[in-house]
Amino acid sequence: MLYASQLQGLQVWDAWSQPVGRCADILVGDLKKPFPPVRALALRNGDVKVHFIAAEQLSSLFPSISLKVPKTEITPYQPRGDELWLLDRVLDRQIVDTEGRRVVRVNDLQLARVGDQFCLTGVDVGGRGLLRRLGLEKPVRAMARALGRPLPSGVIPWEQVAPLQHEDPIRLRVSHDKITRLPPADIAAILNDLDRRTSEALATTLSDETLADALEESPMDIQVAVLSRLVPERAADILEEMGPDEAADLLADLPAQTSAQLLELMEHEDAADVRSLLRYPEDSAGGIMTTEFAHVPAGLPAGEALDHLRRSPDAQDDEAMYYVYLTDEAEKLQGVISLRDLVMAPSNASLDAWTDKDPVTVGPYTPQEEAAYLVAKYDLLSVPVVDENTGELLGIVTVDDAIDAVLPTAWKKRLPRFF
Amino acid sequence: MKLQFDPKGWLRRLWFYLAIFGPGLITASADNDAPGIATYSMAGSTYGYRFLWLIVLVTVGEVVIQEIAARMGVVTSKGTADLIRERFGVRITAFAMLCLLLANLGTTIAQFAGIAAGTELLGVSRYIAVPVAALLVGYVVLRGSYNYVEKVLLVLCLSALSYAISAFVIRPPWGEVLRQVITPTFQNDPNYILAVLATIGTTITPWAFVYMQASVADKGVELKSYRYTRLDVTTGAVWGNVVSAFIVICTAATLYVHGVRVETAEQAALALEPLVGSGARYLFSVGLLGASLLAASVLPLSTTYAICEAFGWERGLDYPAHEAPIFYGLYGGIIGLSVLVVLIPGVPLFPIMWLSQSLNAILLPVLLVLVLKLANSRRVMGGWTNSRLQNALAWGLTGMIGMVTLVLLISSFINS
Repeated sequence: MLYASQLQGLQVWDAWSQPVGRCADILVGDLKKPFPPVRALALRNGDVKVHFIAAEQLSSLFPSISLKVPKTEITPYQPRGDELWLLDRVLDRQIVDTEGRRVVRVNDLQLARVGDQFCLTGVDVGGRGLLRRLGLEKPVRAMARALGRPLPSGVIPWEQVAPLQHEDPIRLRVSHDKITRLPPADIAAILNDLDRRTSEALATTLSDETLADALEESPMDIQVAVLSRLVPERAADILEEMGPDEAADLLADLPAQTSAQLLELMEHEDAADVRSLLRYPEDSAGGIMTTEFAHVPAGLPAGEALDHLRRSPDAQDDEAMYYVYLTDEAEKLQGVISLRDLVMAPSNASLDAWTDKDPVTVGPYTPQEEAAYLVAKYDLLSVPVVDENTGELLGIVTVDDAIDAVLPTAWKKRLPRFF
Repeated sequence: MKLQFDPKGWLRRLWFYLAIFGPGLITASADNDAPGIATYSMAGSTYGYRFLWLIVLVTVGEVVIQEIAARMGVVTSKGTADLIRERFGVRITAFAMLCLLLANLGTTIAQFAGIAAGTELLGVSRYIAVPVAALLVGYVVLRGSYNYVEKVLLVLCLSALSYAISAFVIRPPWGEVLRQVITPTFQNDPNYILAVLATIGTTITPWAFVYMQASVADKGVELKSYRYTRLDVTTGAVWGNVVSAFIVICTAATLYVHGVRVETAEQAALALEPLVGSGARYLFSVGLLGASLLAASVLPLSTTYAICEAFGWERGLDYPAHEAPIFYGLYGGIIGLSVLVVLIPGVPLFPIMWLSQSLNAILLPVLLVLVLKLANSRRVMGGWTNSRLQNALAWGLTGMIGMVTLVLLISSFINS
């Protein structure tokens, strides 16, 4: 196997064994191919000026770089601007391993001869790459073999990595396709692991929906940082995509001026939902509840209730519909029925038999710990939040948001990110 | 149009400042951590006011160096180790990280020595106190309640202020003090040179640089509000050194004049006696404990993080231990080794505290040369490279440390 680090600074000889210069960089093109071909070598010849030799004129790369032609017949290569400079832009930088879904550092780059071309085949992110760069690969490998524990190779195929450099927008677009396919929590973790500027650059290439999902999974400081660097219109679009409770949390953490501006830009209906949540303190049931829940008018038979649910936009938005809430015309809570019972009930039966007429509720100002305690005590998947005075059903606190309040992970999120 | 936050009104302005303020205060308190207090007490009690000019010089150096760290953090949004690796490749990075590890291991040992000395003043055996402190630090950091504990420890660190008050109670000969501030002196004897290096090494540290850059990069300070960060860094550094100077003045006025050369924490505590009488040992030990615990929490973690960052290993407390074995292993290793060294029977705590700082200074130029190259690279810093004055001061400092180290080698060779 051939590695980019072995070519770094290596003497280049022409067909008559005359020195031409030293290898300063390797340029590859067609990055969407599984094995992008080497297009040219950048050479440095003592002076600062760099010149390029097209890959077609290379006869071998290792152990020494030699050309097919004599010095005088070299046709200089003109960089087109879409090449990736391996030593300058990729080696030693951070890169996203889309298979392992993590940010890793490039210790070396693997090249191979495929047909008549030299191609970039993989990225070495393992200890062997490090040892090679330190000149220790051979002794350590021999030692490891003697101990019967051969060193694992840390090479990831080029297809499975996404290079990310914020100063390099072309590459970012290629990488973005690979990254969008990852689960949102992994995208968030990657946004979190990258340095700030790269993370922001990547965020701008993602779709509203992807970014909204990823933001919901991110620590608050990342959410604020990512959002506040977007164009306000885009930021508002992303807030609309997010659940109202998550959007409200995020807006509450932004400067008052900014969050007011964003609320203006959001669609009226989404903004109203978020506004109603923002009224309550962050650590109250009102602060952590969501306004997206399934509800049907009380008194309908099972079949009609299900039909109503299918047509209801509120039910449409409910991400995890465990319970269906029964309300009257004034939106007062009349009872709760589990979705399971509703589905299993005969179509024309009244729901009374399965309805909990006096469910456990909390007020919007109930502390979140109290809500969490009730959820745990009564084994609920969500608890309705009811206005103490009017009896109006305001929203629900789901179990995941409730336990966030009492789990140590909530403490962890407050640590500085670099630790 | 981008979203902008326009700090109008003094309240918002204050909030804005407080949000950015911070790393400067932490690193300033770290100037007067256990090794710091030990170094200044030793210097003041052994050489009187003769180190004051050096403190002025080192203050300028610290302001310049820490400003570079903050600026690199703001401009690149990357950590020091990250930049070193991307610019200089594996070999130089490995060497730099080895130096960083050695310097920080020495300082971590010194912090635990400080904990041992502090608790022994209170009558608790170090064989109980140091392991308990190590577990406490590990628990607080890994459990993630560090942010809360940090505030408590910062308050404990305020006890170093008692030196400032004490200095006015003692009434030292202010004329003599001022004269020494502006008159550089030098002695060609290995102990004196070691003390000079310790004074430099306890004030300008590799870990403070790495910590500063990482926290500024992490806060995502905008370039247009960079001046607030610069203010934080400058006031922090100056303030830390003013306190250091008062430690020297107090020990010089109380101990040096009676010919007491501080070799134990008990003797060092005597410098606070004019202020609080027999309570001095308690005040001294509280200050020592607060500063040591603070530094012992931050230091091994930032060292481990920098090394893992440089080599691309999984890092950070977000990862469970089995996914980041090197990160947690190294972290535990640094703390474990430090505890073991301090628990060696009969190991002299006080000399460990300040000699580790001489080592810090000797290793410092390695990091300085690399970061100065980075700070002058247009590719890394864009339009925010060092000014000529900053370069002159920073390279001057680097050269000076190198020369003092060289003089130390020659002088110990001749005197041996």
